[in-house]
Amino acid sequence: MSSRESAFTCPGVPWISVIGGKLMLLLFLLAPIAASAHVGSPDFYYDGYAGPYHLLVTVRPPAVVPGIAEIQIRSLSTQVNQIEILPLRLIGQGAKLAPTPDVTERSKGDPQLFTGKLWLMTRGSWKVQVNADGAQGNGELAVPIAAISATSMRMQKSLGVLLAPLGLLLIVGLVGIISAANRDAVLEPGATPSPSQRRRGFLITTVAAIIVVGAVIFGNFWWTADASHTERLSYKLPHLQLSLQSGNVLQLALENPNNVNWRQFPSGMDDPDRVRLDDLIPDHGHILHLFLVRMPDMTSFWHLHPRQGEGANFYEQLPSLPAGHYQIFADIVHHTGFAETQVGEIDLPTIEGNLLSGDDAGGPQLIAEKKISQLSDGYRMVWELDSTPIRINQPTWFRFRIEDRNGNPATDLENYMGMAGHAAFIRSDGQVFAHVHPAGSISMAAAELAQDDGSNAAKDMSVAMTGMNQATSSAEITFPYGFPSAGDYHIFVQIKRAGKIETGSFLAHVEN
Amino acid sequence: MSTLTAQAPSQIAAVPSARTRRIPWFIWASVAAAGCIVSGVYWDISWHQSIGRDTFWTPAHLLIQFGAVLGGFYAAWLIFSTSFSRNPAAKQASVNVLGFRGPMGAFIAAWGGVAMIVSAPFDNWWHDAYGLDVKIISPPHTLLAIGIAGIMWGSVILILGQMNRAEAGLRRRLQLLLLCAGGFIIIQDMIFKLEFTNRVVMHSAIFYVVVTLGMGIFLEGIARASGHRWARTAMTGFYTVVFLLALWIFPLFPAQPKLGPVYQHVDHMVPLHLPVLIVVPAFVLDLIFPRIKDWNKWAQAAIEGIIFVVVLIAVCWPFGTFLVESQAARNWFFGTQEFAYFLDPAVPSVRNVFYQGDSTRAMFFLKMGIAVVGGILSTRIGIAWSAWMSRVRR
Repeated sequence: MSSRESAFTCPGVPWISVIGGKLMLLLFLLAPIAASAHVGSPDFYYDGYAGPYHLLVTVRPPAVVPGIAEIQIRSLSTQVNQIEILPLRLIGQGAKLAPTPDVTERSKGDPQLFTGKLWLMTRGSWKVQVNADGAQGNGELAVPIAAISATSMRMQKSLGVLLAPLGLLLIVGLVGIISAANRDAVLEPGATPSPSQRRRGFLITTVAAIIVVGAVIFGNFWWTADASHTERLSYKLPHLQLSLQSGNVLQLALENPNNVNWRQFPSGMDDPDRVRLDDLIPDHGHILHLFLVRMPDMTSFWHLHPRQGEGANFYEQLPSLPAGHYQIFADIVHHTGFAETQVGEIDLPTIEGNLLSGDDAGGPQLIAEKKISQLSDGYRMVWELDSTPIRINQPTWFRFRIEDRNGNPATDLENYMGMAGHAAFIRSDGQVFAHVHPAGSISMAAAELAQDDGSNAAKDMSVAMTGMNQATSSAEITFPYGFPSAGDYHIFVQIKRAGKIETGSFLAHVEN
Repeated sequence: MSTLTAQAPSQIAAVPSARTRRIPWFIWASVAAAGCIVSGVYWDISWHQSIGRDTFWTPAHLLIQFGAVLGGFYAAWLIFSTSFSRNPAAKQASVNVLGFRGPMGAFIAAWGGVAMIVSAPFDNWWHDAYGLDVKIISPPHTLLAIGIAGIMWGSVILILGQMNRAEAGLRRRLQLLLLCAGGFIIIQDMIFKLEFTNRVVMHSAIFYVVVTLGMGIFLEGIARASGHRWARTAMTGFYTVVFLLALWIFPLFPAQPKLGPVYQHVDHMVPLHLPVLIVVPAFVLDLIFPRIKDWNKWAQAAIEGIIFVVVLIAVCWPFGTFLVESQAARNWFFGTQEFAYFLDPAVPSVRNVFYQGDSTRAMFFLKMGIAVVGGILSTRIGIAWSAWMSRVRR
């Protein structure tokens, strides 16, 4: 049982729970789902500072909402004694009304690892507030996340096999009880029912059986209606409408299949978390981040920033790029901090386009390497990869070092859209995509919203941003991320040096 | 009230002999099971109003589960001990359900226990598929509620099976236990109606519709079957006392919300609201019953249904005004300052204003008419139900 922030059918009256029969008889596994901020990559990774303490926070949101999110926090400092976590809405009044925080459990084998669980009661934008306490005092940070239901789980066969006979027993037993109530129960001990009593009992039993079967059929209708209602509220991956105009202008029309009230509101009231397309906010300087990658070789990769036209239409003058079948990912952020990736595919002819400008970057012939990616001017990007196999769901810092032509650390790195670099992790079949920054897989616009409440949090954000900026003065960039599923991935890492944006391309094999 | 004597002495506990003066252990167990479940449900709701988050192992859940296990255990013991008994008298005083034998109430309680158990993995899967308690009234919760009803009505029927065969002394004690079990059913009924019985709804017709619907079945059915002169007053009084004690005792225990957003400051267990004053119409019904008990059944139902609604309005309307508008009600005694942590400050109960549930005057009177008709029909069903319960012998 649980309670929730909601509008009430009868205002002023507490929401009532009955009983939470949460038996741990059976454990169920849910298939990975599509997440809103990325594609096929539901977990959130955040690298930041809670005051003086450097933390890597992993949030694994529930597959369905309301549900329980799993939180894993790794402290880089040995001076953290205790970490508390609590869930808050990302914006609005709910962002300020904190419940009692939960104390995370410290791993006995790994004292710098802390784990906990949080209940997320409604769909939409949330933040996980992390309070760290240690030898250097207290600090806090907030991790923006999205809570969505993106799956409709069918009942497992094993559970069905368990419940079906029990349900049948209940039906037959109920009819048997009604029969006995009308036949034996009212007889004096030792007496036997007369023929007329038997006939009456049989008649009532027949009617009762019909009513019970009717109730079961009604229950099935009810169940089906509930399931379809839940399905309507499930998050659906939006698909772009794409077309090529005037030879090299790519037109994108955003889709909004999630334009529903996620919570129950009185008639006429709109859910503040409702997904709209007229509320987009810039995420590190751009309303839309567009990624094009030619499939299946992934040698032609582009990170572009289309201009917004009317409504949900965007236009991009493509650079010169080779013909092929392109997979497209478009990252947007709503004013609620809810981040989405829209997907699409298009066959493009050879494009004779414009020179890249602004923050647009990419390359037509990026050769993916396992460790060293060649950049321009003899520079190179080195993936500091050890021999340990990469496994799924492992929060990992992916470290890349930029070297000059002499093998020395590069000294001319600059910020690229406000941070040291950008990375895209794409599975070879295009079914997994994540746009990751040095601060993690969260949207930076949502991160700024998450820090809005309270001066301490804002200060910590500035510390985190400072940390990111400092990374540009060093020659090493790190991206915290965990692969959601096994397979072969391309990692595209983009940095800016000497006024030029460079893209490194790497191959990664991920095991279960 | 007619007095019945036991007619089929038996050597087994399920069928106490006519000379037995002691109440069998399983009767106590059945009442205890019902009490545990009702207490657990109350505690669980308070838990969700105060703390929010729970697990399988919260004390409230454990109390409910203990009640289910206790109910299932005594029922299973009675059924198996009777089914496999070599004593013919034991079997003669039992009913036959799917080849098993035992007291009628034991089968109902056993069915309720199985339903509660089945609802657990079903509900767990429901959480995984559709989310943690997205809705209060869902198929698995309904199965759970029906299972609880099975345990509670099993207790009532088990007591009746014994009481209707018992001699005067034992009968009287069983009668009191029956009223206690009936009181638990009234409490459970009023808990399920909580969403519509808050003080701010007392000037809306829906309050009277919800309180009245079904009440006649439980109140009239058990009261008449018990044969006790003040049965209605006793059962509703039991509900009133339990709710009052809980209102005053629960806030003594500390609690903090574990879910957000937290709209109301909570530092103690938040109790459910003050009991609805159904004890007053119940008392009036007890008063008039001797005068109407020989009337035509429909006439009895009509007069009782109307009286119940009219007296309920006469009592709750002004009492609602006091609770909502008077500062004298803002204290621990009336508990009108107790709010669940998740209640938005804009909702009527927090603002202490009445909920406007009737769009027009015509709608108000239409709903009140439904309350009266519902009261009459519920009472008529209760009268028929009591006729069967009065005849239960096994």
